[in-house]
Amino acid sequence: MRPQNYRPVAHPPSHEYELYFGPNHPGIEGNYAIRVRLKGDVIQEAIADGGYLHRGFEKIMESRLWIQNVALVPRICVPDPVPMEDSYARSVEALGGLEVPERAQWIRVLMLEVSRICAHLFTFGGNAATIGLYTNMFWGVSMRDLFLDIFEEITGARIYHMYITPGGVRRDLPPGILDKLSAVIDELERRAPEFDDLFFDSTVVMNRAAGCGTMTQEQALSWGVTGPNLRACGLPFDLRRDDPYLVYPELDFDIPTETAGDALARMRVRKAEVQQSIRILRQVIARLPSVKGPIRCPLPNPLAWNVPAGEAYARAESSKGELGFFVVSNGGDKPWRVHVRGPSQMHAVQVLENLLTGARIEDIAQIMFSLDACPPEVDR
Amino acid sequence: MSDTTPVIPDQPEVCRTVDAEERGVWRRVMDRFADHCRARSLFVLHYCTGCGAIELPPTITSRFDMERVGVSPMVTPRQADILLITGYLSVKTLKRVILSYEQMQSPKYVLGFGSCTINGGMYWNSYATVKRLDQYIPADGFIAGCMPRPEAVQQVFLDLMKKIDAGQANAWQDYYLNYDRYLGNQMALFGEEWHTPVDVIAEAEHYGYVGDGTRGRFTEILDRHAAYALRDAPEDYPERGANERLLP
Ligand code: SF4
Repeated sequence: MRPQNYRPVAHPPSHEYELYFGPNHPGIEGNYAIRVRLKGDVIQEAIADGGYLHRGFEKIMESRLWIQNVALVPRICVPDPVPMEDSYARSVEALGGLEVPERAQWIRVLMLEVSRICAHLFTFGGNAATIGLYTNMFWGVSMRDLFLDIFEEITGARIYHMYITPGGVRRDLPPGILDKLSAVIDELERRAPEFDDLFFDSTVVMNRAAGCGTMTQEQALSWGVTGPNLRACGLPFDLRRDDPYLVYPELDFDIPTETAGDALARMRVRKAEVQQSIRILRQVIARLPSVKGPIRCPLPNPLAWNVPAGEAYARAESSKGELGFFVVSNGGDKPWRVHVRGPSQMHAVQVLENLLTGARIEDIAQIMFSLDACPPEVDR
Repeated sequence: MSDTTPVIPDQPEVCRTVDAEERGVWRRVMDRFADHCRARSLFVLHYCTGCGAIELPPTITSRFDMERVGVSPMVTPRQADILLITGYLSVKTLKRVILSYEQMQSPKYVLGFGSCTINGGMYWNSYATVKRLDQYIPADGFIAGCMPRPEAVQQVFLDLMKKIDAGQANAWQDYYLNYDRYLGNQMALFGEEWHTPVDVIAEAEHYGYVGDGTRGRFTEILDRHAAYALRDAPEDYPERGANERLLP
C-alpha cells in the first residue's frame, strides 16, 4: 500500500480495545488466532479464528487409494500422530472385515502409549513455557526426544511413522528395542521428581495455574469436552476402558481424575496419565516377547483394493481426547467419504472462547496450552 | 537478481534514496564486512506455519541446540532475519506470511522447510494450500523431505550462513527488482483488492533496487487503490485528507 493510501479509522473508546492474538505469536499453540476484546486487561469476548492450517483433508482422502491414505492421516494431528493411524486402520478393517493378528495389536498399543507420553511431555513443556518456566520446556522436549529415537528405530521416522496400516503394522519390532524402551522409561521415572520440583510443586504454578480457566463437569459435558480435560473435571471417562479396542481389556491401568477442572488439574491429570502409560508399557514389554505370530493379515493387492461398501466408525483415546474416523465406502478403491471427529475442534473453539471470557490477557496462552488444543487438527 | 544494475531514481519520493557515491568501493567493502558479521548472528522469526513447526523445539532446545551455530528464535518480524516457512501454506496463512515478510528489515532471508514449500508435497492436490512458495516470496533455500530432521534444519542454516558470508544470499533483492511479478501472483490468489501496509516500491527506491520488473501492470492496480483512498479520506479525517491532496 502506498502511504497516501493510509486511511485512519474511527476508534472505539480507549478503555476498550480489540487485540488480534496470533497467528504469529509465541504464546499461541501452532498457527491459530484469537480475536479478543479487552477492557483493561480483562477479556470481554474472545472469538477463535482458525483456518490457517486448513488442507481439506476429508476431501483429499476421497481422491487417494485406501492404502495411500495411510501416509496422509498422521498429518492431521502433528504432536500425536499414532492414534490417527490406528483409528483409520481400525475403521478400514471394520469395513473390510480384516482380523488384526494379536502381535500387531500389542505393537499398536506400544506405539499408542509411547505417542501419548510424547504428546503429554510436549504439552507439559509448552504449558510451562507459557508461564515463564522455560527450563521445563527444555526438559520436556529433550525427554520426548528419547522416545522419538525409539520411534525412529521402530519405524524409520521421528514424527510421521506411517507404521500402522490396515491389517496390522508395517514391519516387526527390531531386536533389542524393548530393552531400549524400558531404559528410556526408567530414565523418565528417574527424572519425574525433578519435574515435580520444578513444575508441580512450584509456587509460580500454584499462583498462576490454580483456578485459571476453570470449567465444571456439566459445562464440560455440554461443550463436548473429552480426554484429559474431561477427566480433570472429575468424570472418569476413558475410551480405553469404556469402549475398549485392541488389547486394552487385558491390560491393567487406572483412570486418573481431578476435581478442580482448572489448568493445574488438567496438567496433573496428564502427569498421572504418563505414569499410567508407563505402567501399560511395562506390561506390554513383559508380554510382547511371548506373543508370536504374523504382524499383518494377508491383504489384497493394495493398488487395486476394493473395500466392501458400508460405513464404519472407529474411535480411540488420543492424548487430546476422543478421536474418531467415520469412513464410508461404496465398494470402490477409494473412500467415498471420510469424516474426522477431532477432540481439539471442541477444545480450541467453543471451550476456549468460553473459558477466555472473563480471564486475564496473560492467561490466554496458558489456558490454550492447558486445553492441549492442536490447531492442525482443528483446521484439518 | 544481483547482476541487474540498480537504477537510482533522481526524484526522492518517500524515503531517503541512496546516492551513487554511497555505492562506491568503500561502501562495498563495508557491505562485505557487514555480511560477514551478519552471517554469525541470525534471528529466525517464530512463526509456525505448518506441521514442520514440531521439529523446531528439538532444534532450538538442548539436544540439537541451534544457538551454538548462532541462530536464535525471535518473536517479532521487525527484528528477525530469517523467515522459516515450516511446511504447507494455506491461502489464509500465505497472506500473513507476506505481511510478516514485508515487515522484516532487509536483508532478509526466506527458507522453505519440507516438500510442501517446494512443490506442494503431500498436499499436491489440495484445494486449500499453495503449492510453490517461491512464486509469492523469493526464497533463499529449501529443505527437502517430508518432515526433515533437525539436522537438516541446522544444515540449511549453515548453508545459508555460507551464502550470506559470500554475499550470495540475495533473494530479497529479487522481491524489489521483480515486485510486479510477485504482486501479480499474489493478486491471482487473493484478488485485485490485495494490498499490504508496506510501500514496497518506495523501499525498492530506498535500497536502490528498482528494476524493470518493479513497476508494471499490477502495481498500477495498487496505485488505483491509492487514488480511491485519497478521495475518501476527508470524511474520516479532514486535516489529513487536505494534506494528502497537496501531494502530486
Ligand atoms: S512437507 Fe510433510 S511434514 Fe512438511 S508440512 Fe508438508 S506434509 Fe507436513
